[in-house]
Amino acid sequence: MRTIKNYVYTLIGFFMLCPLLTEAQEEAGDVGKIWSYPVVYAYDEEVTWYFDLSGTTFAENQDIYIWIWSPSEPDAGNWENSSDFAKLNYEGDMIWSFTLIPTEYFSVTPEDIAASAGFWFRLKNKTGSIQSGVAQVPYTVFSSFFTSDEMIRAYPEKPALDEGLSIMFNSNLVSGFEGVPSVHMHAGLNDWEVLQEYQAWLPEITEKTMLKDMGDGFYKMDLIPSEYFNTEEGYIMTNMRFLFVGKDWVVTSPDQVLFAAEYIPPPPPEFRFFPLRISQQDFLGMIRINNERGVTTLSYTITAGSKVITGEFNGGISEIKGFVDLVSELKGISGLDEIHVLVKDNNDRVISDTTIPLAK
Amino acid sequence: MNFQRMRLFLFGVVICWLTACDNQDDGSYVAPITLYEKVHGEWSLMKLTMIDEFARANGITPDEQNLSTLFNYPDFRISFNVDEAMNPTRYQVMGDVPPLFEPEGFWMLSSDFQPTNSAAVRILLYQNADHSVQTGELRLTSVPGSNGEMEIQLVRITEGVPFVSYVFNLNASNP
Repeated sequence: MRTIKNYVYTLIGFFMLCPLLTEAQEEAGDVGKIWSYPVVYAYDEEVTWYFDLSGTTFAENQDIYIWIWSPSEPDAGNWENSSDFAKLNYEGDMIWSFTLIPTEYFSVTPEDIAASAGFWFRLKNKTGSIQSGVAQVPYTVFSSFFTSDEMIRAYPEKPALDEGLSIMFNSNLVSGFEGVPSVHMHAGLNDWEVLQEYQAWLPEITEKTMLKDMGDGFYKMDLIPSEYFNTEEGYIMTNMRFLFVGKDWVVTSPDQVLFAAEYIPPPPPEFRFFPLRISQQDFLGMIRINNERGVTTLSYTITAGSKVITGEFNGGISEIKGFVDLVSELKGISGLDEIHVLVKDNNDRVISDTTIPLAK
Repeated sequence: MNFQRMRLFLFGVVICWLTACDNQDDGSYVAPITLYEKVHGEWSLMKLTMIDEFARANGITPDEQNLSTLFNYPDFRISFNVDEAMNPTRYQVMGDVPPLFEPEGFWMLSSDFQPTNSAAVRILLYQNADHSVQTGELRLTSVPGSNGEMEIQLVRITEGVPFVSYVFNLNASNP
């Protein structure tokens, strides 16, 4: 009885310490968008997970590690010194990736993963002093396709030019595909305007256009349209037409079409001063909204007669905002009719180069 | 309390009342309560809002920004002092904040009483005790009531048109 009591007190003590332990962590913020390539994948297929950390305080190109405990915990016991196998790859633009074959990485069967709570993780630096919030890699269950009697199913239904696309194909529903050595895609964007044909006499094209054999007459094609069709910068995809072909064109599926998701450009950035009219006894605000990815700082150089004021403001995609205290900086300076303001972003791009008249 | 004592008590109350009536107020002058009684004292900043009056007048947004947390404004306090006769003496801004207006001097109100029309009373700021050199003015846009809150506004004007203003929401430091 005595020992149980001691045990309970120890536990209580431990949990009371927990908040202190977590407070010692630097919280980097929550992981943004998470996606995978291929879009849909079996648990024993190689997949790359992508993590958008532009909304976190992780530094660009920083070494980041995954700490994942469900469906199993491969790097258990190494919170303060993550293993190399848990290291993410920096893709640029504040996006990191992690490539794995889930059944191998977690040393479990596909059934174990399917029965688990899913992929739960934090991202962290090597020593664990900085961590993201808890997050889950979303997984798209596509097993219903195998019993659906659908010939074709696409994930997503409406593809985007620069994003992953997985197309499932049930060859059992098209006579003539039984026993073909391989299945290939013959396709074109925007009503066959940009082509990636199945050129059966070219080995590398044969390889590129080949679907992945999922067994039992089921196949899967994974692609990113812009890469697969090698489209030009700024190309706008409206549809993708395709058919599946047995090796050496012995058999073909009916023609198929996928309509592209509507392309919605991000809202344009907007810079403004606040207020619109100003005197030398006022605060000068600078506000920039809808910032491009990677634009996080505005630095300013204000020239008022012989006086030069410099500084910078930080923010993110939604807004960078700050105020300059002209009240104190320009106090007592007489004869000022105007100030000149030069604003640059952290990529040394000129955001504003303006002369502002001062109200008297 | 028994009835005897209760009756004695009520009797006492009635006597007091009667004697009070007897002692008539026959005209000794009591000054009416002025705005100075409400405005004087020390005030702390709750919120500072910068308003772009030019944008507001032209329907452009954003037309205001919250500066409460910037430039030491959380430390901003202002005291409006009066003498024993409730006449205004000195005012002083405390806290290391940018001098949007002269941080100390003398003050008076444009009116001792709340005007019956909607025009705001002005807090006139002076360099000297004889009020000969004015350094600025503040609009008293919300008069302190029982909640101990006051709002004053500093308006910047060029060519007769306001272009920027600062609204100070204050509460009494020593309620």
